[in-house]
Amino acid sequence: MNPAEELKYLLPNSVVSVGIQTNKPLAVIRKEDFLKVAEKVKELGFDSLSVITGVDRVDRIEVIYNLFSYKKKQNLALKVVLDHRSPEVDSVISIWKVADWLERETYDLVGVKFNGHPDLKRILLPEGWIGHPLRKDYDMNTEQFVTIGEDGEDIVSFDGSNLLRRK
Amino acid sequence: MDPVTIDTTKIRITKRKPETALEKLEDTNLINTLLAAKDREGFILLTTIDQAMNWGRLSSLWPVTSGLACCAIEMMAVSMAHHDIARFGMEVFRASPRQADLMFVAGTVTKRMAPRVKQLYEMMAEPKWVIAVGSCANTGGPYRESYCVLKGVDNIIPVDVYIPGCPPRPEAWLYGIIQLREKIKNEGYGAKWGLNK
Repeated sequence: MNPAEELKYLLPNSVVSVGIQTNKPLAVIRKEDFLKVAEKVKELGFDSLSVITGVDRVDRIEVIYNLFSYKKKQNLALKVVLDHRSPEVDSVISIWKVADWLERETYDLVGVKFNGHPDLKRILLPEGWIGHPLRKDYDMNTEQFVTIGEDGEDIVSFDGSNLLRRK
Repeated sequence: MDPVTIDTTKIRITKRKPETALEKLEDTNLINTLLAAKDREGFILLTTIDQAMNWGRLSSLWPVTSGLACCAIEMMAVSMAHHDIARFGMEVFRASPRQADLMFVAGTVTKRMAPRVKQLYEMMAEPKWVIAVGSCANTGGPYRESYCVLKGVDNIIPVDVYIPGCPPRPEAWLYGIIQLREKIKNEGYGAKWGLNK
């Protein structure tokens, strides 16, 4: 029995389906129960959260959590399917501390809102960037530039001719 | 009979204007200089000041140590013993842009990096030259349709030589460097008078 099936056996109401994704056991979780399931997964020994991926499937947004257990040497992928218009899921920062920056990155590029995150702001792009670039409906026609402002902070500008405004 | 007094200070020796080519050459006193040099068994090099300065500049182009992406790996290869840009006096990669007069934009210029590249360029002292290396620095390359990559580094800084390739072979780098040397050689008045041959 792989970890996804074990999870399905333990929490049959929260796990929608199990499967295999890129040779890793995958469990699709109901988004309402995600925090509860994440705690259970941590109890099962999955102590390392490798990466959080956000995928835009046009009609829905999927967030995939790749986990690894150093004790059992096992992989597990958790997936939650979110509404495309307002993608919201509970933050797992209380369970895995590393989720802080990973969730900020997913928020920055895909626009998933993590409820309960203490400091949910952009991490790669500067504040004020319009849109989330890895969304399918991102506007590619308005070109945005990163500019060093007068106080040395990165700011967003639509003018590529004057990128350096530091005094 | 009154003695005739001649005020010698009033006499001005008029020099005949040189008319023939030989007279003109004698007038410049150049022939005596050349003959004197021949006596000393020395040599004389005729040039203009800017051509001498161009020669000095192109013979010791010091690049600034900056690599943005994978093209920088080829930059290391071109500076190593096999391809050896020390032949051009360029092996001294300076860690400070103040001491450099050439910048290789080697790699993808992301939007976040673009103001930093511009700042690096502006910190370099005049005269300065820029070589854009690789598809990414030239046009954006495979990332042209991306939201985060500049579509050519010539949008922010002036570029002298473009080297295409992804990444360019070290031979292509050497060809680009030779093209830049030709460009420097053809700057100034001396080149206009045909002294760069």
